[in-house]
Amino acid sequence: MPEDCKGIWIFSELHQLATELLGRGRSLADGLRTELVAVSLGSPEYGQQLISHGADKVLLATNPILNTFQVDTYTDALASLAVEHKPDVLLIGATRNGLELAPRLAERLKTGCVTEATRLEVDAEKGRVLMERVAYGGNLVETQISRSKPQIATIPKGLFPALPADASRRGEIVKVEPKIGNPNTRPIETKPKSSKGVRLSDAPVIVSFGRGVRKKEDVAIIEQFAEAVEGVVGCSRPIAEDLGWLPEEQYIGLSGQKVNPKLYFACGISGQIQHLTGIRNSRVIVAVNSDPKAPIFEFCDYGVVGDLYEVIPALIGAMKQSSGK
Amino acid sequence: MVKMIVLVKQVYQTADLKVDRATKRLVTQGVPRIISETDKNALEEAVRIKEKHGGKVTAITMAPPEAKEALREALAMGADEAFLLTDPLFDGSDAHATASVLAAAVTKLVDYDLILCGAYSEDLYAFQVGPRLAEICNLPQITYATKITLDGTKVVVERDLENERQLVEGKLPCLITVLREINEPRLPTLMSIMAASKKPMTTWAATDLGLTADKVGLNGALIEVLQSTVAAGERKRIMLQGDVSETAAKLIQSLIQEGTLKAS
Repeated sequence: MPEDCKGIWIFSELHQLATELLGRGRSLADGLRTELVAVSLGSPEYGQQLISHGADKVLLATNPILNTFQVDTYTDALASLAVEHKPDVLLIGATRNGLELAPRLAERLKTGCVTEATRLEVDAEKGRVLMERVAYGGNLVETQISRSKPQIATIPKGLFPALPADASRRGEIVKVEPKIGNPNTRPIETKPKSSKGVRLSDAPVIVSFGRGVRKKEDVAIIEQFAEAVEGVVGCSRPIAEDLGWLPEEQYIGLSGQKVNPKLYFACGISGQIQHLTGIRNSRVIVAVNSDPKAPIFEFCDYGVVGDLYEVIPALIGAMKQSSGK
Repeated sequence: MVKMIVLVKQVYQTADLKVDRATKRLVTQGVPRIISETDKNALEEAVRIKEKHGGKVTAITMAPPEAKEALREALAMGADEAFLLTDPLFDGSDAHATASVLAAAVTKLVDYDLILCGAYSEDLYAFQVGPRLAEICNLPQITYATKITLDGTKVVVERDLENERQLVEGKLPCLITVLREINEPRLPTLMSIMAASKKPMTTWAATDLGLTADKVGLNGALIEVLQSTVAAGERKRIMLQGDVSETAAKLIQSLIQEGTLKAS
């Protein structure tokens, strides 16, 4: 695309994530002295809400074919809008939908795409965005740029805060009619996953366990501890994938959930890179492990070397006593 | 007869990768190379489809010559033929350049009903090559498959999404990306390993695929890596030792004092 691309665009089919993208997009747009544009596809229509969270403009496509996410129609819609309006940057929410949409769209527009970018910085001098992503099992952080435009990145949930809604903000809502073809696939049935109401992504405290817990019945100790610290229970990959003690949605790691609690307890988790990548954004990490050489101790704020079967009950006890002080 | 192409990528066993904190380099020496796990699932699924419906499985990788090892494993798992796309010109390819090379090979092979690959690779987790290849080849994509059922030229796929599970129907030819949940890949037997050594493996370079230097590798890449640094793992690393109940009390107190934990 030619050099006259301008504007920071954001899109996510999840409204909450769209507001988070606006939060980050706002300062990018200010840094690059350009406008912040939110794209709203199908229903529900988010116009004024997106403006109140920071958008200068909302492109509103109301074609009912866009009411449910389908990669074909959403790629068509965004490609058609991008070709017409030439955005400089396009941030897409890194949901599973977003992660299949972004590369397909990028290929159609013959541009680069950085998936699951964890940091974005404006390079004002060169008028571009530096995008960071983690690679090689969390060992390397790469700073990437796109050689062509729009510069596309997908952004995980919960990474950037949304700006508080400000109803007095003014912006422009533009109805658009992107060119959309027929979808190639047909959804037959969509069912919500049976997650037991536990949302790791929103939890301020997570108590997570790994192979150090020897029997399924012993998970009760972890649950009691979680209750004492008002936390949510998570686990490492083998617990969910190999042993099936917790649902797959509860495992934390590179290929599982990525979490960002205030406090993360890793109980009997050795700390493979796979797991560490999922907990990187935790503010404080506490590790309990019987092996003093466990890699988790290199990656924690507080480490307790000991048998979790002794340490956890002691922590529950200490928690109970803390109430008296 | 279902003709399938499976894309495989050879990766370092990520669990064994370490960082040399002094040199700030990734230590890859002595780290085993394996077929990326979800690609292995894709391969297993293709072999199962062949066993049920009859057909042919072609494994393809774009990689340095060492990846022959991965292709031999693919053949031992049940692939019928393998193609190694290798050329120094391919070095430094990003997702777009990689998809372009794979697309050239797929186009040259012409005759296929289904392309299968992992939803992501174990080393980069970029989720890009499948959708990009589907776009270049103008194929429908069905991602995150946990079950695939073929019925003539129709395919019904169970998909694992963010908060939902979806059943979707599509037509062949198409590209399907799979998740680990879809199956348990078989271990090759001694017999199948021996049989694999007799199966055809072909090497294609850029010229065989009609690709020029400007389209592939670093030159063809749309993404440029400006910097690659060791992930900072800076944590306080305060180790608490001694009597268990004293340690526990000290820890809880510290967490409450710094405002990380609320007293009960």
